[in-house]
Amino acid sequence: MKGHVDLLLLSTLRTGPLHGYGVVEKLRGLSEGAFDLAEGTVYPALYRLEAAGLLSSSWTKANGRRRRLYELTSRGRGELARERDEWQAFAHAVEVVVT
Amino acid sequence: MIEVYLDDLDRELGAVGIRGRLRRRVLAEAEDHLRADDGALERFGTPGEIAGAFAAELGARASRRAAVGAFAALGVAGAVFAVSFVSAQFAGQPPPDTWPLLAQLALVAAIVAPQVSFVAGSLALVRAVRRRELVLPSAELAVINRRTGVALLFGLVTMAALGVLALELRNDSAGWWVALTLIGVAFAMPLLVLAAIPAAGAARLRPRVAGDPGDLFDDLGFGRMAPWRFAGRVALGVGLVVFLAAAVQGDPFDGALNGSAEALACLAGFAAFGRYLSLRR
Repeated sequence: MKGHVDLLLLSTLRTGPLHGYGVVEKLRGLSEGAFDLAEGTVYPALYRLEAAGLLSSSWTKANGRRRRLYELTSRGRGELARERDEWQAFAHAVEVVVT
Repeated sequence: MIEVYLDDLDRELGAVGIRGRLRRRVLAEAEDHLRADDGALERFGTPGEIAGAFAAELGARASRRAAVGAFAALGVAGAVFAVSFVSAQFAGQPPPDTWPLLAQLALVAAIVAPQVSFVAGSLALVRAVRRRELVLPSAELAVINRRTGVALLFGLVTMAALGVLALELRNDSAGWWVALTLIGVAFAMPLLVLAAIPAAGAARLRPRVAGDPGDLFDDLGFGRMAPWRFAGRVALGVGLVVFLAAAVQGDPFDGALNGSAEALACLAGFAAFGRYLSLRR
């Protein structure tokens, strides 16, 4: 999973903004529990993607608590499209070889 | 339990050098996450693991940016130095052996310091550009940070020495040269100080990622040999260039003296900074 964290995180945010917990929940749901990671380690990657200009974030209030929401920037959408194309080409090539 | 965890995380973040606004943000997000459901605390990861992941993810980027920023600031300082040094020969200065002692010391500093600064800054940039991985070994980040720090420190020494020279020689040099040098120094020094801020921030981060610091040959990507043999060849080459430049101008004796001094300075620099800047293992 380590080499594909960026693609996975960007993909979870493609349908709209989420907070860190939401990102982890969505990742777990979509993968049907296949990605078992220490949930807190998602945050450093989110920070890095934000610093790279692929995500933006802002504080909101929910249930009386401060909550940071992350969303894709236009650069992030471009990067997601590029990484997804790369992944699909790679996955297709592997499938052709192994089947 | 959550409060205890957050206290531990706070301490661990401090231990890896994450402070201030960033630390407050990490803690606020962690608290929101941990209170989202009853099992979140077990799944979140240990405080040490999370703090280490932050330092590792942020460390490489911080060191890279600091190295690039420092090199840009040093480029400006280098231009100031070159203009001042080249134009000095038209400023009507007396020969250096008649200068006051402070000016002579400043001259030595203005010759040695920019060379150290240039080599350290270039090597920091080379390592930062060559290693594009998201996470780098802690030892390697320390090398980039040290090189950046040494480059900036010696860049500041160079600018200070130029300033001292201009002030000490103000009565023996053309006014335009003194003004030009002092204005250049006043412009370049704040840039170097500004570049030192992200460098200090990067040096504060202490990720715990295992790995080798590498050496000069990892930076160059070729020519691996015994380090001192390499240093000897570089020193010989630099000495020869200095000698030939003087010989072409009709002063081979002076060239031989300066070339020898330059070669010895090269070897001394390698001895003094070789391990600290990871030029050799």
